[in-house]
Amino acid sequence: MSSPAWVVFRKELRDTLRDRRTLVAMVVVPLLLFPLLMVGMAKFSQSRAAEARDKTLAVAVADTEASSGLAEFLRQEPGLEISEVQDVTALPERVRTEELDAAIVIPAGYGALLASYYPAPLQLLHKSSDDFDIPRTRLEQALGRFEQKLLDERLRSFGVEPRVLDPLDIQRTDVVSSRELFGKLLGGLLPYMFIIFCFTGGMYPAIDLAAGEKERGTLETLLSSPASRLQIALGKFAVVTLTGFTSALLATVGMYVSVAQGVEGIPPAVLSAIQSVLAPGTIALVLALLLPLSVFFAAALLMLSLYARSYKEAMSVISPLMIVVVVPAAIALAPGVRLGLVTAVVPVLNVSLATREIIAGTADPLHLALVFASLLLLAAGGMAACARWFSREDIVFRS
Amino acid sequence: MIEVVDLTKSFPISRQQRRELAAAGSPAPGNTPAPAPGAANASSLQAVAGASFRCSPGRVFALLGPNGAGKTTVLRMIATLLRPDGGRISIAGVDALADPVAARRKLGFLTGSTKLYERLTAEENVRYAADLHGVGAADYKRRRDALFGALGIDAYAGRRAAQLSTGMKQKVAIARTIIHDPEVVVFDEATSGLDVIAARAIIQLIQNCRTQGKTVLFSTHIMSEVTMLADDLAVFHRGRVLAMGGLEEVLARAVDERGQRRTLEDEFVRLIDAAEGVRT
Repeated sequence: MSSPAWVVFRKELRDTLRDRRTLVAMVVVPLLLFPLLMVGMAKFSQSRAAEARDKTLAVAVADTEASSGLAEFLRQEPGLEISEVQDVTALPERVRTEELDAAIVIPAGYGALLASYYPAPLQLLHKSSDDFDIPRTRLEQALGRFEQKLLDERLRSFGVEPRVLDPLDIQRTDVVSSRELFGKLLGGLLPYMFIIFCFTGGMYPAIDLAAGEKERGTLETLLSSPASRLQIALGKFAVVTLTGFTSALLATVGMYVSVAQGVEGIPPAVLSAIQSVLAPGTIALVLALLLPLSVFFAAALLMLSLYARSYKEAMSVISPLMIVVVVPAAIALAPGVRLGLVTAVVPVLNVSLATREIIAGTADPLHLALVFASLLLLAAGGMAACARWFSREDIVFRS
Repeated sequence: MIEVVDLTKSFPISRQQRRELAAAGSPAPGNTPAPAPGAANASSLQAVAGASFRCSPGRVFALLGPNGAGKTTVLRMIATLLRPDGGRISIAGVDALADPVAARRKLGFLTGSTKLYERLTAEENVRYAADLHGVGAADYKRRRDALFGALGIDAYAGRRAAQLSTGMKQKVAIARTIIHDPEVVVFDEATSGLDVIAARAIIQLIQNCRTQGKTVLFSTHIMSEVTMLADDLAVFHRGRVLAMGGLEEVLARAVDERGQRRTLEDEFVRLIDAAEGVRT
């Protein structure tokens, strides 16, 4: 004879797996959408950047003194199409309407100031764009080379070799590993996604298993069976935990598969960093963090769902809770926030920070132990509270 | 057998409910339970106040009362869904307060608002109830075949509940209620809102349960159901039993001042009016 908790678990799992809404939130989104989004965004960004890099820029130069030599210099630069104009007033509009990518205005007095060794004004008109401002950067680099040419000429006129201004030849070597760099830069983003999937994966089942059952009028039948309240709570609780955890697990699998296949669109350096991060040990450690978090989420979701009188009320109560989950996860993305004795016991934030440290390979065992201990305590407290909630008449029969 | 002795139950009321009650003035007869006696500024409502009755095996006991009389609260306490504030409940010899799980093993509970799990098949709905009651595989098969055959739902066993008609759903709910062969069956306004065909299935079930020697307790406010089904009855109002006895006995007592026998409905109204202090 099966334990009533096991009977409830089996039934609820079967029921949940037949719910399309749950399947989409639990399986389809984390397994497919996450990798597709990641790859899609990488591809899109890359193509936009490449387009901006390779594009021939239309630049107008308005040289009021016609003696700067800038237009001639820029014509030698690759990827620039230089036109000389006289009408300065129309230039801002021509740049704004993207007829021109940029315009350079050399005002009157430029030559005199330059000759007297004062900084000579030079106006660059550009339009900030969504292609990473690559056109402006390219033009500024070209202008920088022009400035260097003027400087070299000036130094030589004084009989000074330009190299005397560079006493040091600094050679930089960054010893950060690609894994650490990836962990610091993107390691915060992954737990953010996992935590959200952990929550959303359990959300619909929790609402269906408590508020839905109340609304359908099946809860009375279940409660009048020989299963105790604790057994009923445990059966339902296990299903919500499982769906939340599975959702996060599938997100990991989706990402792992897409990376392992070397999906096009991800730069090779990033790809190799991700591959080094996705070692089985790292994944196991991250999932071990997510398990107690799933338990805690399941308890909170089920309690709120049971408190609600209907599916609709449960949705309106639980949806804002997403913000409570997202905020600490997002705080972990801020620079300078590190895993310490205090942050290790802040729910959600601790998982996010610990995951980042694990991914970067810089996790302190003491801090990790503290994170696990606080999460286990939280999970145990959540389970106990949830079981007590199921025994409260004013909650179960709230009307 | 069901034995209920001096059962009491009150519910705390929220500030908003208190305001609503105050705005409505004194509670309308039969619609709102009386404030708990002795409760400070009516912070709770007395839903059941000292109810006692006994339902015997092989007999059908009707709990008759207007809406809001406290019938559902009594039945929920018998089904161990709610815990009484005081009193005693015995289900087939089991103290329901001391061992609610054992009491529930002896019990089948069906309400008018009970629905099925729509994504499960008819068979899965019934099997779930059987598993929760610990019915073994062989017993399940035997009882399932008998019940599904008798109720005419065998052909729909593999169909999801969402695809069944209301009548079929009610029959599956009946099968689910008695799949574990309970000694005691409790119906809470089980025919309310059902069409004639579905209601007849419930009535047939009640009659079959009596024939099989089960103890049957049902609540209703429909007089015709009481006269058709009940062996014994209790008229319930504001959490109290106003009159109780065998159906014939109650009717025999229902004689007006001219010596004429009243109908059950007339007697019911007279009892309620008398309890409310209304002159007739």
